[in-house]
Amino acid sequence: MSDVCKHCRTAACLDACPTGSIIRTEFDTVFVQPDICNGCGYCVSACPFGVIDRREDDGRAWKCTLCYDRLDAGMTPACAKACPTESIQFGDLDELRARAGDRVRELHDAGVTEAYLYGDSAAEQPGTDGLNAFFLLVDRPEVYNLPPDPVAPRKTVARSWRSLAIASCAMGVTALVSVLGRRR
Amino acid sequence: VSDDASDVTYYDVPLLKEPVWRWYIPAYFVCGGVAGASSTLGAAARRLPRLRRRCHRLSLVALLLGTAALVADLGRPSRFVNMLRVFRPTSPMNMGSWLLAAYGPAAGAAAVLPGTLADAAGVVAGVAGLPLSGYTGVLVAATAVPAWQEASQSLPVLFTASGIAGAASLLALGDHSDDEAAVLRRYGIAGKVGELAASAALEHEVGAVEAVARPYRQGRSGLLWRLAHGLTAISLLLSLPRKRARRREQLGALTGLAGSVLVKVAVAEAGKASAADPRASFHLQRARNSTQPASR
Repeated sequence: MSDVCKHCRTAACLDACPTGSIIRTEFDTVFVQPDICNGCGYCVSACPFGVIDRREDDGRAWKCTLCYDRLDAGMTPACAKACPTESIQFGDLDELRARAGDRVRELHDAGVTEAYLYGDSAAEQPGTDGLNAFFLLVDRPEVYNLPPDPVAPRKTVARSWRSLAIASCAMGVTALVSVLGRRR
Repeated sequence: VSDDASDVTYYDVPLLKEPVWRWYIPAYFVCGGVAGASSTLGAAARRLPRLRRRCHRLSLVALLLGTAALVADLGRPSRFVNMLRVFRPTSPMNMGSWLLAAYGPAAGAAAVLPGTLADAAGVVAGVAGLPLSGYTGVLVAATAVPAWQEASQSLPVLFTASGIAGAASLLALGDHSDDEAAVLRRYGIAGKVGELAASAALEHEVGAVEAVARPYRQGRSGLLWRLAHGLTAISLLLSLPRKRARRREQLGALTGLAGSVLVKVAVAEAGKASAADPRASFHLQRARNSTQPASR
């Protein structure tokens, strides 16, 4: 699997971005605004697919934009346009899902019973609420270096904040007790 | 479908990108922890003016060093102020930036202003210092890195406790009256006990999946992890006697400081090792789903 961005519906990189550089576009894609990114690198550790990275020569975070500039001009992303076998397809998501479902059924009928869709819906991948760039696979996700059940950190971060609240209170009490009990 | 289905990877190629942070970031974890814990003690130490002043001065120094480290680690340091461009509760780093923006001026005022102004600022810094000390534990837990993600509850406690131990140790390096030394001794003991207890809790939290726990057990990060605990345990033993002895206090402070620093360095290193190991993510996610019937 290349470093192609899945444009998660709940995007870990977007959630993590402290500057608001990473946005959801009008095409429902996830885009890094290069004029805002300050290269903190938090999105790099947040992405459960290992897609986004910081360029050493440039210092900012970069990833697939799903050709935001081309979409803006009414064109198809370059990967889908260039792909000679039409393995990469671009279009309206509902239509793509229907087409992919048909393809899976076709494959099952042809005896390729292991074919399935990866990340096409929130039910299939609850941790990301589904991907806006999903895949038809014929083996376990690990074989393609895809995580079997990625989870965006926002789904679990509440328990860390709770834990911090308890630790903070404990530190306050500790400081007070350390001082109040000073006479020996 | 693959033969050994439970252990398949894509030619061992890492799933995740390794954290890009240099040593500046663990250095900030240490500085932020010390600053917060020192401010809180300073705000509490109302009847010990000299100790209070020292606490606030230490906080300011730690704050300045930590902020410098944070800015220096950015790919575009001149854009550091973009951290305050939005208010985004889903991003612990953004929340931390706002916290730092609130804490910084108060900590500065508490250290340099005279009299009652400093006292008022000291209270603000002490309160803001409470979450400042350990929010970086939340920050690293809210990532895709298995060794951090799985320690979601213990990391904030560990980072807070390490901040207390670090602050108490640094303060204890100076000369103190008996009263001041007693306060620092108690604060330090609490921090070190907290550090050891939270570390045990962390090992338990990540222990369910071997590949997730591995960086804390083996390799460079495992060595640092154990070394940190050894130093903290020695420091704890040295600080237990109430009777004052200058050499023992100094040695206890140095080992306590080293332990509190190394435990955060070990966590940072464990994250790097964990991100480089695709099995950590795969095994963890499969284990999480083991109760459900396998659909693929």
